[in-house]
Amino acid sequence: MAGIVCRTVSRIISSQASCSSSVVAVRHSHWFTSMLSLKTSVPLRAEPKKKKKVDPRREMMMKERLKKKLKRLEKVPPELIPIEDFITSAKSFDETRIREAPKLSFEESERRAHLLKEWSRYKRTQHQTEMDVIQEALEAQRQALDELKLESEELYKAAVSPDTDVFPFQHEGPCYTPPITNYEAPEGKFNDITRVYTQ
Amino acid sequence: MPLGVLLTNRQYRSMPTHGIGRYRHLLPKALPKKKKDKIQAKQIKAPTATEFGVLNVCVSGYDLTLVEHYSQYIHNLCSHLDIKVDECYALPTKSTEVMVMQEQGTKMYLDGVLKTHERVVQISEMKATLFPILAEVLLKNQPEGVQLCIKQHTEADFQARFKTRPELQGLIAKINN
Repeated sequence: MAGIVCRTVSRIISSQASCSSSVVAVRHSHWFTSMLSLKTSVPLRAEPKKKKKVDPRREMMMKERLKKKLKRLEKVPPELIPIEDFITSAKSFDETRIREAPKLSFEESERRAHLLKEWSRYKRTQHQTEMDVIQEALEAQRQALDELKLESEELYKAAVSPDTDVFPFQHEGPCYTPPITNYEAPEGKFNDITRVYTQ
Repeated sequence: MPLGVLLTNRQYRSMPTHGIGRYRHLLPKALPKKKKDKIQAKQIKAPTATEFGVLNVCVSGYDLTLVEHYSQYIHNLCSHLDIKVDECYALPTKSTEVMVMQEQGTKMYLDGVLKTHERVVQISEMKATLFPILAEVLLKNQPEGVQLCIKQHTEADFQARFKTRPELQGLIAKINN
């Protein structure tokens, strides 16, 4: 009886020892966090090992696909933004609204012809004076540059070289009336609603 | 000459009337039709010792007739003064909504829509001595309500005329990343 008890006790102790040794063995390895989760840790940890082989290949494939898409898109030439000024509205194509040309009397048509002649003469003189002024200015400039050339070569070169400091050159058109002093403008704001086109 | 030709009754090149019906060589040469005329970016010339590079004379305003007529006037003037005009194009119109605050209350109401039209005359290789005279003439003839802007042509100006391509830019960004 005492011998059986002794043997069972020794077995228990040895089993305990084995358990403890297995426990100790488990704790030595970093893959196993605790006794309870022994069964689940091995298959979970195996996944990242598989990805390491396929990752660079996958990346290469993705890059190749993107490059192919880029080539296809680049082949298509870029389109100009359509200008709304040049598109005739649909109202103009409505054929129901037609206006016939007015019938003019003889005197009226004569008067109009004379008026056209007068206008063309006026515009011609205007154009002629403008061209004359331009030619005079050019001639004066040429004479001045010749004199400058005789004076010094460097100054002549500087005068003839293009002046890029003046860009961008901006000028507003004239107004009919000067700005009103102490004018209180109504409060408001501007919203840009231009249509954005994408290809 | 192969024997077959001599045996048949057909007489080709030995006859004096050979090629009597030919007319294709008399027609003007028709170039093969391109499917799409690609608008390629021309190389922007740099300014030299006596001449400017490529200049953009930009005319903008709210009134379309004034803007259009002024740009036509500039074009005619340049061609008359033997200034090389590369291109004459229009930039897309910009629409602006004018919102005005109500007198009683804080609500904004729509006053109207203003459209800004723009025309560009592109000049290249203009003499530097001629530029001040041209500028003087343009300023003298500028109509009211029209803004004149002379600037140098850049690649960005050229690209602004085209539609944006968000997919292309997205792809380029992805590949760079």
